[in-house]
Amino acid sequence: MASFTERMVPVLVLWLAVCLAETWAVDRGNFKTCDQSAFCKRQRALKPGESPYRALLETMELTNTRLTLQLINDNNKVRLLLELYRLQGNITRVKINELKPLKPRYEVPDVLIREPPTEPLSLLSQDENGVVLSLGSESQRVIISARPFRLDIMEGSDVLMSLNSRGLLTFEHLRMRKDTFSYKVTSTVASVWDNIKRVFSSQADPEAEKKEEADPANQAETTKEEEEKVEDGMWEETFKSHSDSKPNGPSAISLDFSLPGVEHVYGIPEHADTLRLKTTENGDPYRLYNLDVFQYELYNPMALYGAVPVMLAHNTQRTTGIFWLNAAETWVDISSNTAGKTVFGKMLDYVQGSSETPQTDVRWISESGIIDVFLMLGPTPKDVFSQYASLTGTQSFPPLASLGYHQCRWNYNDQEDVQSVDAGFDEHDIPYDFIWLDIEHTDGKRYFTWDPHKFATPKEMLQGLMDKKRKLVAIVDPHIKVDSNYKIHNEIRSKGFYIKNKDGGDYEGWCWPGSASYPDFFRADMRAWWASMFAYDQYEGSMENMYTWNDMNEPSVFNGPEVTMHKDTVHGAWEHRDVHNLYGFYVQMATAEGLIQRSGGIERPFVLTRAFFAGSQRYGAVWTGDNAAEWDHLKISIPMCLSLGLVGISFCGADVGGFFKSPSTELLVRWYQTGAYQPFFRAHAHLDTPRREPWLFGPENTALIREAVRQRYTLLPYWYQQFYHAHRTGEPIMRPLWVEYPQDPATFAVDDEFLIGRDLLVHPVTEEGARGVTAYLPGKDTVWFDIHTFQKHNGAQNLYIPVTMSSIPVFQRGGSIIPRKVRVRRSSTCMEHDPYTLYVALNLQRTAEGELYIDDGHTFNYEKKEFIHRRLSFAKNILSSVNLAPDAQFTTRSWIERVVILGASKPSKVTLQTADGQDSQLEFDFDASMSVLTLRKPGMNAGADWTVMLQ
Amino acid sequence: MRFQVIVAAVFWSGFVESRKVRGISSSYKRFYKERKSFLCIDGSKIIPFEQVNDDYCDCEDGSDEPGTSACPRGRFYCTNLGFRPHYIPSSRVNDGICDCCDASDEYNSPAHCQNTCWNLGQKERAYVEGQMRTLDEGLRLKQQLIEEGVLLWREKQAQLRELQQVAEDLQIKLEEHRRRKHEAERLKEQTLKALEAGDSGLRHQNRTETSIFQLLDSNKDGSITVDEVKTKVVLVHDEERLLSEDEALGLLGGGHQIDLTKFRRTLWDVLTRGDSVKIKDTPGSDDPHLEAADKAAEWEATNLKKVEEAYETVNMEISDLRKKLAIDYGTDWEFLFLNSQCYKLKVYEYIYTLCPFNQVTQKNTAGTEVSLGSLSISPHIHQPLEHISKVLPGQLSFPSEEVLPSAR
Repeated sequence: MASFTERMVPVLVLWLAVCLAETWAVDRGNFKTCDQSAFCKRQRALKPGESPYRALLETMELTNTRLTLQLINDNNKVRLLLELYRLQGNITRVKINELKPLKPRYEVPDVLIREPPTEPLSLLSQDENGVVLSLGSESQRVIISARPFRLDIMEGSDVLMSLNSRGLLTFEHLRMRKDTFSYKVTSTVASVWDNIKRVFSSQADPEAEKKEEADPANQAETTKEEEEKVEDGMWEETFKSHSDSKPNGPSAISLDFSLPGVEHVYGIPEHADTLRLKTTENGDPYRLYNLDVFQYELYNPMALYGAVPVMLAHNTQRTTGIFWLNAAETWVDISSNTAGKTVFGKMLDYVQGSSETPQTDVRWISESGIIDVFLMLGPTPKDVFSQYASLTGTQSFPPLASLGYHQCRWNYNDQEDVQSVDAGFDEHDIPYDFIWLDIEHTDGKRYFTWDPHKFATPKEMLQGLMDKKRKLVAIVDPHIKVDSNYKIHNEIRSKGFYIKNKDGGDYEGWCWPGSASYPDFFRADMRAWWASMFAYDQYEGSMENMYTWNDMNEPSVFNGPEVTMHKDTVHGAWEHRDVHNLYGFYVQMATAEGLIQRSGGIERPFVLTRAFFAGSQRYGAVWTGDNAAEWDHLKISIPMCLSLGLVGISFCGADVGGFFKSPSTELLVRWYQTGAYQPFFRAHAHLDTPRREPWLFGPENTALIREAVRQRYTLLPYWYQQFYHAHRTGEPIMRPLWVEYPQDPATFAVDDEFLIGRDLLVHPVTEEGARGVTAYLPGKDTVWFDIHTFQKHNGAQNLYIPVTMSSIPVFQRGGSIIPRKVRVRRSSTCMEHDPYTLYVALNLQRTAEGELYIDDGHTFNYEKKEFIHRRLSFAKNILSSVNLAPDAQFTTRSWIERVVILGASKPSKVTLQTADGQDSQLEFDFDASMSVLTLRKPGMNAGADWTVMLQ
Repeated sequence: MRFQVIVAAVFWSGFVESRKVRGISSSYKRFYKERKSFLCIDGSKIIPFEQVNDDYCDCEDGSDEPGTSACPRGRFYCTNLGFRPHYIPSSRVNDGICDCCDASDEYNSPAHCQNTCWNLGQKERAYVEGQMRTLDEGLRLKQQLIEEGVLLWREKQAQLRELQQVAEDLQIKLEEHRRRKHEAERLKEQTLKALEAGDSGLRHQNRTETSIFQLLDSNKDGSITVDEVKTKVVLVHDEERLLSEDEALGLLGGGHQIDLTKFRRTLWDVLTRGDSVKIKDTPGSDDPHLEAADKAAEWEATNLKKVEEAYETVNMEISDLRKKLAIDYGTDWEFLFLNSQCYKLKVYEYIYTLCPFNQVTQKNTAGTEVSLGSLSISPHIHQPLEHISKVLPGQLSFPSEEVLPSAR
């Protein structure tokens, strides 16, 4: 007892210290470290060195579209099949699988929007050491070295990327279990039989002998394999009280990538960490495993709700990307040869000329599946975005209203509550578009139902909102209450659509409704059925202004290992282990499909998801999950959404105000000001927190919040155009500075400010009690205009900006034209026909360019060319609107009510020329102190051709 | 004829003028008199009059666009003839949602707004009339409650006075009883003392053979018998036990009776040795004076206790009553009737029991009861009583059967 106490004292002290330092944090013990994840531990134990893999060049086959080649592991003689493709748009795809796996290994379906179109590969040279292939015209080559196997992608004399250069390619081949009785019997009998056969054949059949020699692999394989030791966790693994049966044994894969000349890597969300990824040598790798992490901690590599296995690498010369298409639990190690060096050390290297090239090494480890990796070779950031978009698609084009403000809380108690909150927005003249209902709106957490007391007449409620041109989102989670009186459950069960446990019964876990089962969204027929449940006649009480929110779709299982599903549950032929990170992706896919179908394919859906994977951008919006009302959580919302944007998911936001705990008024105001400039703008709050509708903090703060929300609404035309652009190109909307200023290293690690599109730079105030912020204004020959004061600042400088509680430092780039609607109304739909004000910010060359996109805001008719897309440009004192899509047709009642030209000089006359050739003089006002010229009421239709001349 | 035309023209132009400036109240009309130019109401700018309500915001204060949505901080006046006029934010002009009941805010919008002012006005008038009726009814009820309250108050006051009188009487009584008890005790004490003094004197004087003989010779026949010994003599170490026949005989030297002479040689010796037997020590037990004094003291004590208890009870009642009377029941005691009432309210699965000026409890369907504290009503909020009478029957079961037994 005494010794126990003695031992416990330091532990207690440590515990207390931890508690004092961090009174509130994730329970880390609930989640695995690499050391606690058997395959990660096994793989990470392998150190860089000579690879046991050898390319068997004689097996090479090269067709017009692909190269195949066998690799052999000299240690165990297991053969792999390497496939190499050159894809359209400067992408190289490398696939590695077992040549003859014991059973098929999982290949991720449905994430790629199509089988990527290939381009011809040509052989440049070949000898016994390797082959050189041409990747088309750009002097890009692939070099495959045979011994050991290694793959290099070169451009000219530069190596862009090397695979297996550190020899960390591993492939745990599928095998029979050795310690089971049946295996022992078969293997013993087999080896006895082999020996007998060999004895006889050597005497009687010299042909057979030769055969044996010709195929030494077989023989070696059996002998070698027996030498392989069975490690802990290969055939069974336990974590806390959960055991993972692993009937297929070890199946992990791993591959290393070297990126010469690269010091900055980004992406692989979702992590609550900085934009620039850190090296992981002194801790755990970044983990990708969709998990419902209660009260997540910041600045660490722990897994969160979603996973996009895409990493971007950037230096001043080039941007590249690695897309590791694998849905199993994945860990990513990052190391760098310069990471440890101080600035002084780097300088010393430079002065002495002894510097080795900086290099970042990355290693991907996944628990199962195959290696299927897309090397996106840039060279510009935008090329990488378009390359990735060509594989997984672009951001869905959301309904315009969903870019407005969303008011959410767990929970709005009943219809009266909804009505009074709705009325509160009108009373305080704050616009909003969506009010949200969390899980309490259902009848006992049975999704697709309503609480009969609190939401007795949902259609009445929805009609009330519709009368105000507003909308509602109701939650639909994928865990289904096990209750024989619940229609949804009965149907899923009778159709056999539930995920099965390892023994073949319906898997049951614990979630909000108590005992719950999980539909197998990996089945297309299940997804089709799920989608059909959103039909107006199926989903009682639903109407066309009601949309959907998918939460808990990691999936969250309260009593499962790491709060998620057991890995040995079964999805048809596959284990949950193989597919885990895809679950949320499919839930959102099926839900979005349901919303499309219910309107007969006419209306765009809006679905918010918490879990996601590569490709989730195609189905709606994502938020950063259950954050907290803390300043650091406000700050982290920026890098978290930036990282998502880099890998295609643009429609991102964080819970404004913070989900857990209660924000100070200052934090709440600052969060509104930040959220107003992030793509998905929703306030949300935990059930246990006091109410925090915008008007509950005194008139001054109500006014501050109102102003932030109003700024959002004035900029909706710009946001909408950005979404259209993202939908077309895959470029992020909220983007890091380096994307636009790729040659300015000062921008590479910036993650306290960001760009919206190219033209708006936002540096939100995220410090408590801030009196000022220092914003980096990028661009050497660029000027930036404060959007509130119109003051002009030069680029390539750190600008100190004094701030008050009303300040939201936002700048418009000189050279851009931004359309706004300044008549802010109750909701975005109320502003549909309102006129535009054009903000023309002149650059040093006194030119500017921008776009204007208009459509009906909610249907898929834009796909049928029903939209207006115009290029606005200012040059030589002429501002004009030119049709960017002459084959498109749409009419709008909106007109141009005002043009504000920043950085202008005073004209003597301003003439408007419309398409019919008529000239008219425009009145104008010139503010000499700020060089702002305002053209009064030019009045032309927003869809028309026109020219305005300043003389 | 010409005059008429002029008059008509003036009329018409006046009509046009008031029609043209949309969205202002009559009190603001003076700012919008048709002239060549318009001065923004905040005085910041002069603009041509054609630019008033031309759907472009010129004035910082929004005053040039009272009838359009052009100014971000503007407001639009709904005249709402037949109903109440009011202002709406300019942003609600032509937004497709009918805000003014006269439909004046949606003059250029696809929303088909009907003029509903007359209906609304009628409804409101009906509502107000209803309110008035309810108010009257409430006031009547209130008057009734006041009367009841006043009566009850007076009753309680009278009760208080009565109780106070009783208490006073009891106090006098109490003092009298205390005095008498004291007296009786003193008497008892004296008697006891006297008796004790007499007793010890007796013993002292008569410590002679003759006096002891006489004491033992209860029937004064000149001889002591066995029975006489048994009644008067006890063992030193066990006073309670009667002597046996043999023991008595032994003390008498074997004979059944002894005379004085024989006594000297037998019992006297034993008694003077004093180590085995002694004369029974029962001072005063058979003294009638002492017995009477004792009984009297006991009687007086019981009486006092009874009076004390009565006094205490009365005082408690007084303090209870005072506490109740100290509660603010409104200026006219109109809330006094609530004091003994309880109301039940069912909200989803919970039943709330509210007892004004007393406890509030919550009970769920499982029967678990939780106290939510006490409900104090501050009548000085002066919530009109009609409100209570209106709300209670709907949401609370009021009152007859559902009224719980009052707390007291």
